[in-house]
Amino acid sequence: MSGREPVEVGGCPSKIMKLATQKTQLKQLRGGVRALPAPLLLLALSCILLIVILLAVSFGSTPIPISNITKILLNGTGLFHFARHWDSTAELIVWQVRMPVVISAALVGAALSVAGVLFQGMLRNPLADPYLIGTSSGAALGAAIAFVLPFDTLYGSFFPLTPLLAFVGAMVTVMFVYAIARVGGQTPVVTLLLAGVVINAVLVAFQTLILTLSSHVQFTFQALFNWLSGGVAVTDWSPIIMVACIILVGIVFSLMLSNVLDAFGLGEEGAAHLGLHVERYKLLIVVVGSLLTAAAVSISGLIGFVGLVMPHAMRLLLGPRHRLLLPASALGGAIFLTLADLLARVVIAPAVLPVGVLTALVGAPFFLFLLRNSKRAYRW
Amino acid sequence: MVDEGKNVGVQFIAPKTSPEILLEMKGVTFGYEREPILYGVHVQVRKGEMVGLLGPNGSGKTTLLRLVSGVLHPQQGKVVLEGRDLQDWGRRSIAQRVAVVPQALHMPFAFTVEQMVSLGRTPYINLLGSRNRLDAIIVEDAMHAAGITPLAGRIFNELSGGERQLVMVAMALAQQPALLLLDEPTAHLDIKYQIEILELVQRLNRQRGMTVIAAMHDLNLAARYFPRLLLFQRGIVADAGPVEVLEPHLLKRVYGIDVQVGILRGAEHLSVLPPGSGLETDEREQEVQPQALVMAGGGSGELLMRALADAHIPFIAGPLNIGDSDYALALRLASAVIAEQPYAPISPATLEQLRKSLAKVSLLILCPMPIGPGNLALLQEALSAAHHEIKVLLLAAPDPSGRVNEQFNADTSYTNDELLQQTGIAKRDYTNGEGLRLVRDLLQTGAVVVGSVTEAVEAAKRSAILASSNP
Repeated sequence: MSGREPVEVGGCPSKIMKLATQKTQLKQLRGGVRALPAPLLLLALSCILLIVILLAVSFGSTPIPISNITKILLNGTGLFHFARHWDSTAELIVWQVRMPVVISAALVGAALSVAGVLFQGMLRNPLADPYLIGTSSGAALGAAIAFVLPFDTLYGSFFPLTPLLAFVGAMVTVMFVYAIARVGGQTPVVTLLLAGVVINAVLVAFQTLILTLSSHVQFTFQALFNWLSGGVAVTDWSPIIMVACIILVGIVFSLMLSNVLDAFGLGEEGAAHLGLHVERYKLLIVVVGSLLTAAAVSISGLIGFVGLVMPHAMRLLLGPRHRLLLPASALGGAIFLTLADLLARVVIAPAVLPVGVLTALVGAPFFLFLLRNSKRAYRW
Repeated sequence: MVDEGKNVGVQFIAPKTSPEILLEMKGVTFGYEREPILYGVHVQVRKGEMVGLLGPNGSGKTTLLRLVSGVLHPQQGKVVLEGRDLQDWGRRSIAQRVAVVPQALHMPFAFTVEQMVSLGRTPYINLLGSRNRLDAIIVEDAMHAAGITPLAGRIFNELSGGERQLVMVAMALAQQPALLLLDEPTAHLDIKYQIEILELVQRLNRQRGMTVIAAMHDLNLAARYFPRLLLFQRGIVADAGPVEVLEPHLLKRVYGIDVQVGILRGAEHLSVLPPGSGLETDEREQEVQPQALVMAGGGSGELLMRALADAHIPFIAGPLNIGDSDYALALRLASAVIAEQPYAPISPATLEQLRKSLAKVSLLILCPMPIGPGNLALLQEALSAAHHEIKVLLLAAPDPSGRVNEQFNADTSYTNDELLQQTGIAKRDYTNGEGLRLVRDLLQTGAVVVGSVTEAVEAAKRSAILASSNP
């Protein structure tokens, strides 16, 4: 122990002074890069999210003024009692029609973005997305099974069958992929990716097989197609609350992993040299990321692009440190998907576009713009 | 058996006040996928030492570093850090004591230099905790020490290779390690940064008392900066200062190339130069015409090989298993070594090599090594060599006190049974009498039992004179 270098704090005040000046110089040096301090930035993003949610609730076949929405929502908390000078159907629309959808969209966006950050950080690959290691095909197979089964709900009407089977399918698939990729107590990242790709292919084949063989395909195909292209279609609060719990817990866990994810950037051996149990953390990241993805998929179907692009965008704007990147991505993803869902509902109203289509159509140009205008060369 | 340090003939000169041992490897053996890479590595590193690891590519330098950093676990033996088995330390505790600077690092995300260096604090912060004021000071200090403070706000990926290496060293410094491991820190760097990195490491070693172990591929830089060098060839072949380790003969055995070692005019350190031209090499090859072949193993050939080398009698040693203590010594002393895979029986290919080598020599000396099914073939080869007019000497087994039997007198005539007794074959024969039978056959063909190493060397000298007078 005696050989360890003590921090030179005591004896040398001039040195600290020097360090302090260097520190301020440093701050000035980077002044241009990061204008807003982190807490302020997160606060700003939260405000934007709130505004976007109100906007999303307000738009629709029957527009409701934002002031009314605010009052209805505040009344709902039980703490406020504003006089009801609005139509009672407005209240019904807000609480039973629009809020479930908007909140789901925000949750799904947050979950997918955070899962994207987790997988990109763990796999050290900016091309990774939450669906990479089997979640999407597992969920799709689960949904396909749900569509061809002759009953719609499980456990009475409490939980619709499709989200449940999609969730289970996603989780089982990811664990299966992880188990396959595990060789001699280790899970090499490349093996994990390859196993994911192979299992994806197999499950897609199974899904096609099931749909081809089932007799009432014509009947359900359109519904399944809609589900696969992604679209938030929930009308009941109970699944949303369950999913929200899973997603919030997942995000909290992710935030606790931010230091670990930073260290993973150095590669597995580098992370091990910094004192991390790499294999344990890898499993934890896979579990948390998949839980988030599966929970999101269960209520929204397969919405692409959010999980890939939002982490990138935030990384380009805020830098790669996960302590800031994770919460910012969660908020950014929520904002993005709420907006996308809003657009999907109003663009060709009264018809509704699949959100997946919009996320790609809106997200891709936005992302390309960021990519081209980034001062930091995005090299890999 | 003789301890490893003594075996290789050179010892590390301990500093006057010998500080406590920081790191110790005890009989560490390791291999990937059934192919062993390190055998029986014994080494001690004291606090404040600066050790360079040398050896050709694939000789196990990096593997040794990974064993010390705890990323790999030895298959046999153990690594002891600060008096405690590395496997009993937690990962975090190791990271607070041992920092590693990798050969090259690919960082997929745009971390700034300061962010990279502060990653070095990871072993000290908990899951939720953020870095506090102390962490910030340590990070600043690490950057200052490495001279990269002006780069703090730059993106790591956009730096040059040398600058990146400095950042990696600063990151390791932020771990406040007692032991700094560097894996070929100067690989792929231009000369300016090679010197800058090593000067930095030397400064850390001298000013902060940081213990350093670095794998080095550049022998000249190693000679210049490292007071202690470990030469690897799947195990430690030499462990000493540059003067003893950077010895042309030894380097030729290990690296397989002729080199010249000397002090260039005006320089303070040894320099290793590649051969001037092919012609020169050929002449040198012819110069060392081996005269004897020594079969040994398990330390039985140590005294003889030293004596032969002292008498300037060139000899071939082998076949020896890589990792055998006689093998490490033979690499230093013999003009050629016939090597066999570790712990493996003598293979047909090796036997073929042995026959070719036997054709070059006029004398075969058998040391009193244990005979088992794996090396029984050596005795058979010796027997057939004896039939082909090669003089065979059987070195008598030392008596239990460890000395060569001195009562034995070559002038007295003994019966074959008495001679057999002298060779001690009965005690070291693990082949159900097959070895005994072969030694008896050897004696009948006129093999001579020599009681001491001196006698064996005298016989070798005589046979050398005979060979030169009767070509």
